[in-house]
Amino acid sequence: MNEEKELTEETQPLVLKRLREKFPDALLADAEVSNGISIVVNKENSYAFLEYLKTELAYTLLVDITAVDNSNLESELLQYDYARFMVVYQLYTFEGETQRIRVKVPVHEKDLKVPSVTSLWKGANWLERETYDMFGIDFEGHPDLCRILMPDDFEGHPLRKDYPLRGRGERERFNFDKQNA
Amino acid sequence: MQAGMERTTGEKMVLNFGPQHPATHGTLRIVLELDGETVLKATPHAGYLHTGFEKLGEHLDYNQYIVVTDRMNYLSPLSNNFGYVLAVEQLLGIEVPKRCQYIRILMAELSRLADHLLWLGTAALDLGAFSVFLYSFREREKLYSIFEKTTGARLTTSYTRVGGVFRDLYDGFETDVRDFITNLPKALKETHTLLTRNRIWMDRTKGVGAISPEEAINYGLTGPCLRATGVSHDIRKAEPYSSYNEMKFEVPVGTNGDVYDRYLVRMEEMIQSCRIVEQALDNLPDGPFSVEDNKIMLPHKSDAYGHIEGLIHHFKIVMDGHGVQPPLGDHYCATESPNGELGFYIVSDGSGTAYRIRIRPPSFFHFQALPHMLEGGMVSDTVAVLGSLNVIAGELDR
Amino acid sequence: MGLDFGHRAEPTDGNILTTTIDKVVNWGRRNSLWPMPFGTACCAIEMMATLASKYDLSRFGSEAIRFSPRQSDLLIVSGRISIKMMPVLKRIYDQMPDPKWVISMGACASCGGVFDTYTLIQGVDQFLPVDVYIPGCPPRPEDLIDAVMQVQRQIDKGALPKGSEVA
Repeated sequence: MNEEKELTEETQPLVLKRLREKFPDALLADAEVSNGISIVVNKENSYAFLEYLKTELAYTLLVDITAVDNSNLESELLQYDYARFMVVYQLYTFEGETQRIRVKVPVHEKDLKVPSVTSLWKGANWLERETYDMFGIDFEGHPDLCRILMPDDFEGHPLRKDYPLRGRGERERFNFDKQNA
Repeated sequence: MQAGMERTTGEKMVLNFGPQHPATHGTLRIVLELDGETVLKATPHAGYLHTGFEKLGEHLDYNQYIVVTDRMNYLSPLSNNFGYVLAVEQLLGIEVPKRCQYIRILMAELSRLADHLLWLGTAALDLGAFSVFLYSFREREKLYSIFEKTTGARLTTSYTRVGGVFRDLYDGFETDVRDFITNLPKALKETHTLLTRNRIWMDRTKGVGAISPEEAINYGLTGPCLRATGVSHDIRKAEPYSSYNEMKFEVPVGTNGDVYDRYLVRMEEMIQSCRIVEQALDNLPDGPFSVEDNKIMLPHKSDAYGHIEGLIHHFKIVMDGHGVQPPLGDHYCATESPNGELGFYIVSDGSGTAYRIRIRPPSFFHFQALPHMLEGGMVSDTVAVLGSLNVIAGELDR
Repeated sequence: MGLDFGHRAEPTDGNILTTTIDKVVNWGRRNSLWPMPFGTACCAIEMMATLASKYDLSRFGSEAIRFSPRQSDLLIVSGRISIKMMPVLKRIYDQMPDPKWVISMGACASCGGVFDTYTLIQGVDQFLPVDVYIPGCPPRPEDLIDAVMQVQRQIDKGALPKGSEVA
């Protein structure tokens, strides 16, 4: 069911066709998945791409922003020039046939900057903060990029693969005094 | 100079609301900047219940993780179980038997009732209506006993498995549930007489915390909070999963997107859930309650103890690295949980443990939109608005 | 009515009972434990069920739920406590007047439960003196009632809460 089909000219969804025409160079990969399409876009064009999806193609609901640390996933690393992180956007439209679009943006560890989409969706604010908190992705243009789930003085990014599940001793020693300042 | 204009002094006061406050239902925290009674700025803070669910998903196998999903939205664990296993099954590319789909729908709708009932009780309690709390808990206890008889636990059910449910419904389930859904509308009528036309309730909820449909979509609201604004969007209708395409039900919508509309939408959703439960009971098919694939579902205990094949299958599923192993790839699966769109994004590297599990919680978006609904309003409305959103901390912080 | 008068003076006209001051005080304390519910997660839902119609904790004199730590003498920690939450909990405990008892409800509060992760306190007893632990994930309402009764029994015996021994 989740097998990614090779798309020919006739079978591809209309949305994908328009995207291919509009962004011929930005699309690194695309595939049809069981409930929509999945697209990989380069970082330079990600903002324009998402803006186009929202304003022109009516993908008005930003469902989710998250990231994946691909450092242990060889196939993805090889495919995208050893980009460690993949920022994943999930979009939804209330109209049209292809209801869900997944946009993935590869991010190298050396340059963790990704354009923020808070100007497009207000809901992106906390999602980007969470992705920053958990992975350390730096969303450029975010109004207040700070930790959201972990305490402010926490060090490290827990969902990175090199961070241990049981932490680095934070749960035994933590700051009792900084609360409710 | 008019009287009343002098009420605001122009001086700001910062009020720390939570994380331990009776109306925060757990661990929410809002910092309010007040001018007199008016809220100038509200800053919600999350993370006080961050448990590391997503990290844990990278260390547990697919069936073990079901236990964790229970504890995410603890008002309706069965919906979470359902949403999660559906995502894994879609990743695996399997479909469960009809009877299993119906059982899951039954349990998901019953847990929607449980969720809305608890929401009703606590939201009313926050505004001072104590009797509603007792009434709704009276109904909820009946549901608890049904859940307990079916799954073995009142709250943390862990009922579903990848490829099915772990046991069939008990004898007498139908009588119990039919009894419950015939009585529930009567009990809801009691609540309607207590609240719906109650002057105090209306004054405190009508026009309070309103949000427009455009803003609601921009903030990513889903579920009853989005439907209260007038957007008729329900994933059960828009992208019917499991057997929801065979169920007849209406999607109630509001008009103003305020607290009162959220209340009415949820009340009506309960009636619709009763309808779905009734249809599912009427048409409950016979047959197996899980896929008959020994590589996915554990064999029956008697089989595991009595036959060598059964024992081998049992061993292979339980052993590390031999259980359910979806192919390499990623998948996002959304279900309509009582609060809204509950999504699971799973990345698989082909092993028995997920490479990454991302949970898209509805509450996260609702809590984020809170300042939009509070600012410019009165400080006492904070409690009403927060109560109406039904923000579950376990789901918000994960 | 549960009053056990140890020292009975000469019976006069039947209207006077004498006892020790400790016993009267403990009797009062025992039957009016005012809980401060620190409910964070799943256990809080079961705690609400305990307070609601079917299980009705008020039968044990503990229905006066106080959300202000200043007015309560029984802290029920029900749910997972993260490293971000622990300072809040500690502050609430410190604000409660003596004598104060602590119930650690459920597996997460007692030992971290199934969540052996970077952010979760593996047992609040690392930071608070806990008097009664309740096992279960989550415990049933009967278990919580039993824990309250355990606290009552401890008070009856005249035992001091763990917190006062430490201090």
